[in-house]
Amino acid sequence: MKIDVKGHSGCAVDVVREGTELYIDKKAVLPCYFSRLIAQARKQQRAVNLYHTPSIIVPEILDINQRPDMVSVKMEYVYSMNFVEYFEYAGFYQITHFIDTLTAFLLEEIRFSTITRTKGDVLVNKFIDVRSKCQSNPALHDDPEVLLLLKGLEPRFLTETNDFEIPVGTCHGDLTFSNILFNSNSYYLIDFLDSFVETPLMDIVKIRQDTAFGWSLLMYDKAYDEIRMNIILEKIDTACDTCFSQYAWYRQYYSTFQLMNFLRILQYAQEPRVIDYLKIIIKRLSDEF
Amino acid sequence: MNFNLIVPIAADKPEYEHTMPYLFNFDETGILLCIRSIMGLDLSKFDGIYFALLAKHNRAYLLEELFRIQFRRLGLERVKVVELERPTSCQAETVYQTVKKCGLQGSIFIKDADNYFESEIVRQNSVSIYPLETLSMVNPQNKSYVAVDDMYYLTNIIEKKIISHYFNAGGVCFEAIDDFCRYYESLIGRGRHLYISHIIYAMLLDKISFRPFAVDAFADWGDIISYKRHLNINR
Repeated sequence: MKIDVKGHSGCAVDVVREGTELYIDKKAVLPCYFSRLIAQARKQQRAVNLYHTPSIIVPEILDINQRPDMVSVKMEYVYSMNFVEYFEYAGFYQITHFIDTLTAFLLEEIRFSTITRTKGDVLVNKFIDVRSKCQSNPALHDDPEVLLLLKGLEPRFLTETNDFEIPVGTCHGDLTFSNILFNSNSYYLIDFLDSFVETPLMDIVKIRQDTAFGWSLLMYDKAYDEIRMNIILEKIDTACDTCFSQYAWYRQYYSTFQLMNFLRILQYAQEPRVIDYLKIIIKRLSDEF
Repeated sequence: MNFNLIVPIAADKPEYEHTMPYLFNFDETGILLCIRSIMGLDLSKFDGIYFALLAKHNRAYLLEELFRIQFRRLGLERVKVVELERPTSCQAETVYQTVKKCGLQGSIFIKDADNYFESEIVRQNSVSIYPLETLSMVNPQNKSYVAVDDMYYLTNIIEKKIISHYFNAGGVCFEAIDDFCRYYESLIGRGRHLYISHIIYAMLLDKISFRPFAVDAFADWGDIISYKRHLNINR
């Protein structure tokens, strides 16, 4: 059996049958994705027994196969719904359970981490790198709005960036709704990713990338109930913002990290509708400073 | 505190340009369908009854006069026809415009004009329910479905997706008009079609509880086919 599932990470994802069992087979054939896929799989492997939040499960990585022309990862198959399918039917108890579990998971990551003084250079270097990638991206390099946005952010990231104290230690790295599989009241985390700073703040940023800005909905091409989805996302967003506002580092650095997060997405953007969306969000976040 | 009944009939469709909306037709006893829709309720509970319709329909078919004759015939008091100048985008907007135009306070009961049921009315946040399997002919697409927990509270409400054997029979009560208006204002314009079920769902997620209430003698004329079937059944 072979079922195609759409992925967003430059890899092909298939459901394959071996005997009576089903597995996920994730494959990269372009060398530029090899190291990313291996790092993803290893991080997921380490995370399998790491978390103790009830209802949070990390599917097992069963094999990492490295060849000169291809890297493939074999993962436990999980019968699941994507976030839109799940939310379209979810009632009060399901949404409440999801919010409680998500915040508990992020609080567990915070407990696993240590408040660490981090060099402001991390953000400076990241901004220089992003700016350079935007300038070499053919879809962006002559876009006057993008150039203006980057210019406007230079003081923020190049001259005003001091060292900062945030929790460092544990994070998923790409905790968007696209990387959470929903099965009843269990949530499976997939597609872990190394982040430029291994901080739970990054996971809060990625979740709010969806709940506050609707990123994963932009990537969703089937019909859905827009108002219902907005109600749910806003509910989750408010709950997260309220929960993490107890931390000074969240109140102080969330906007900076969210801005950097969207800049990192922008640097690789190709589709005009995605670029337009990103410009609006980045402008809005820039204006908040 | 006031308790008012609103019957929204302000839908506009291209076919209504030259045809009267069928909800202004008579039933087999000579009562307008939209008035028949509330006859299964104890109307003495309400301080006011408001039929909200479009001014252009009123002008074209002299509806207000027609309604007045019917009210006299049925002995209905404290009833008002509310004219809305512009077509609304959804039923929730019709209710909202009616509340604002008439300065309504207190609680509201919203009754669909396209069906009939009998039930006791309690002034609390609640949704009328009827079991789907008891209908011999049904269009599942034009209904919202309701999930109820063991404590008999609503836990979910959703348009056109069968999550439960209970569907909303077409009657909804909001204990506080202000709640309805506040949620309406926060949700309108955030998607293509705002349903009253969206407002209830948003309130549920904010832990504002709703009770279901079971209704009897449900009759549906929710579209022209159901209407013709209804006429044939009662002929």
